[in-house]
Amino acid sequence: MATRPAGTATRPAAGAPTVPAGTTRRRRPSGSRGLLYLFLVALTVMFALPLLWAVTSSFKPRGDIFTYPPQPLPIPFTLENYTRLLETQPFWGWFLTSTVVAVLSTTLSVFVCSLAGFAFAKYRFRGKRMLFDVMFSSLAVPFAVIVVPLFVVLVKAGVTNVYFSLIVPWVAPAFGIFMMRQYVEQAVPDSILEAGRLDGASEFGLFLRVVVPLLRPALGALAVWSFLNSYNSFFWPLIVVSDPAQYTLPLGIQALYGAEGRQVDMVLAGSVLAAVPSLIMFLLLRKQLLDGLTAGAVKS
Amino acid sequence: MAAVTERRTGSGAPARGSGLTPYAFISPFYLLYGLFMVVPIGVGLYLSFTEWAGLGTPLWIGLDNYTRLLDDGSFRTAVVNTLLYTLFAVFVVVPTALLVAQALNARGLRGRDFFRLTFFMPVVLSPIIIALVFTLVYDREFGLLNAALRGFFGWGGIDWLGEPSWAKVSVMFLVLWRWTGYLTIFFLAGLKNIPRELYEAAEIDGAGRVRSFFTVTVPMLRPVTAFVAVTVLVGTAQILEEPMLLTKGGPGEATLSVAMFIYREAFTRQQLGYAAAAGVVMFVLVFAVGRAAGSLFGVGKGR
Repeated sequence: MATRPAGTATRPAAGAPTVPAGTTRRRRPSGSRGLLYLFLVALTVMFALPLLWAVTSSFKPRGDIFTYPPQPLPIPFTLENYTRLLETQPFWGWFLTSTVVAVLSTTLSVFVCSLAGFAFAKYRFRGKRMLFDVMFSSLAVPFAVIVVPLFVVLVKAGVTNVYFSLIVPWVAPAFGIFMMRQYVEQAVPDSILEAGRLDGASEFGLFLRVVVPLLRPALGALAVWSFLNSYNSFFWPLIVVSDPAQYTLPLGIQALYGAEGRQVDMVLAGSVLAAVPSLIMFLLLRKQLLDGLTAGAVKS
Repeated sequence: MAAVTERRTGSGAPARGSGLTPYAFISPFYLLYGLFMVVPIGVGLYLSFTEWAGLGTPLWIGLDNYTRLLDDGSFRTAVVNTLLYTLFAVFVVVPTALLVAQALNARGLRGRDFFRLTFFMPVVLSPIIIALVFTLVYDREFGLLNAALRGFFGWGGIDWLGEPSWAKVSVMFLVLWRWTGYLTIFFLAGLKNIPRELYEAAEIDGAGRVRSFFTVTVPMLRPVTAFVAVTVLVGTAQILEEPMLLTKGGPGEATLSVAMFIYREAFTRQQLGYAAAAGVVMFVLVFAVGRAAGSLFGVGKGR
């Protein structure tokens, strides 16, 4: 029942019909195949159309964004929204803040989660079950409940550094620890650890030199997951960041949109630019992310 | 094989029974957990018994905030709306995701990866971007949705975000759009793990596709379904971004959710004590419902 790593070897690669398709297809009425594709294509339209429309609209002159009937293609085509955004708004500043925060969060989070996941998977210690349950049940604590008092605590403690507030409270997500534990159990054989110990490696050295290399796919998954979470997060930054000079991308876009005259043209251009890093990251590591996310759920 | 793995690490595990190493390895989590979760929960609990606008000393008022919540029409609206969103997510979004996963799992399907990625795309994007795009899609005069309705059915002009019940529908559709692809990948992974022999056996017994769906697929997917249902339940109970960014809770309070209510009381009305009380109520509700659903579906067993 393990999804990976054994699973990946046996599972036919997506797109490559290694399954003896002929035998099954014969049995199915071809009409239902057609319906199946129709259903999937309809869904694709539903999911992709709004996004594609936003992308093409970002290349339209302002007046053409709101027209009836809606124009599918940006004719005339213009880059004016982009140039105006980059000239009049501190877009790169927002981008830099978001990226720095996301990269730092991701690095810390991957380290903390994999270390804890390793401990939960491969050590026996007193109170392990209880500690694990405490960790796991923190998943059910609603964010909205924490938000108000956490903000109060940070203010009262005199934390004024925005990077601290944006990063530190969220670097140890229980979900990440759970995911890493599941993966360590499957991917790290006890014999390797024993061999390492016989060679005189310290426990932490064992983690760094033996465990981490074996975890690479799961680390990738966790990294994309936390990068996206941090890079896209909107609500928490909205609460802790008040100085426009320290805005993250989502805050900048929100401010632009909330400003007078709803500058939809620039907002669209900004959204497209802001989405590029997440999309690249996702497309590069999609397989690891999707498999990694589902590993825990499927196994337990 | 899950059970085997479980047993192996459980008993035959490394003879590292003692030592502080494992505690050191998990300590960063508990340090952060204590500082940024336990402490805030305690502070929230305390604040819920006070009246406080953020300055000076909180004034102890006992249970007043809680009794006020009971009488607060806005809070009631928020609870009802949140319940509606949650029911929609559990009974519409989850089955839709299963249906999509079932379709994507069809043997010899072409373009599976493409479909899967497209459906997952909303998860990758910032909520602010999504909300912005959908504000345009739902636009009464120039929106894509009304244009499509007019084009296909000669009927449109619905004020999607301005009319109370349509605004609710719009928020729910956004929930569907944003989360279906995410849930689909869990079901898809679950479906891939069902041994094909089970279907073959069902077929030999003369079961059609619908019957084998209910006799093989549904029971075999139980663990995944449980995980997905609980995730969705807990997630939707704290829904905030969709209504806040799309409709600002409006028109009026037609789409207000509990999480939004808390945000509004705390940060736009400076009623931190009152907001904290609403937070405590929400915490209790979500925790209780999550626990109940968890034990109902058997999540966490054998863990």
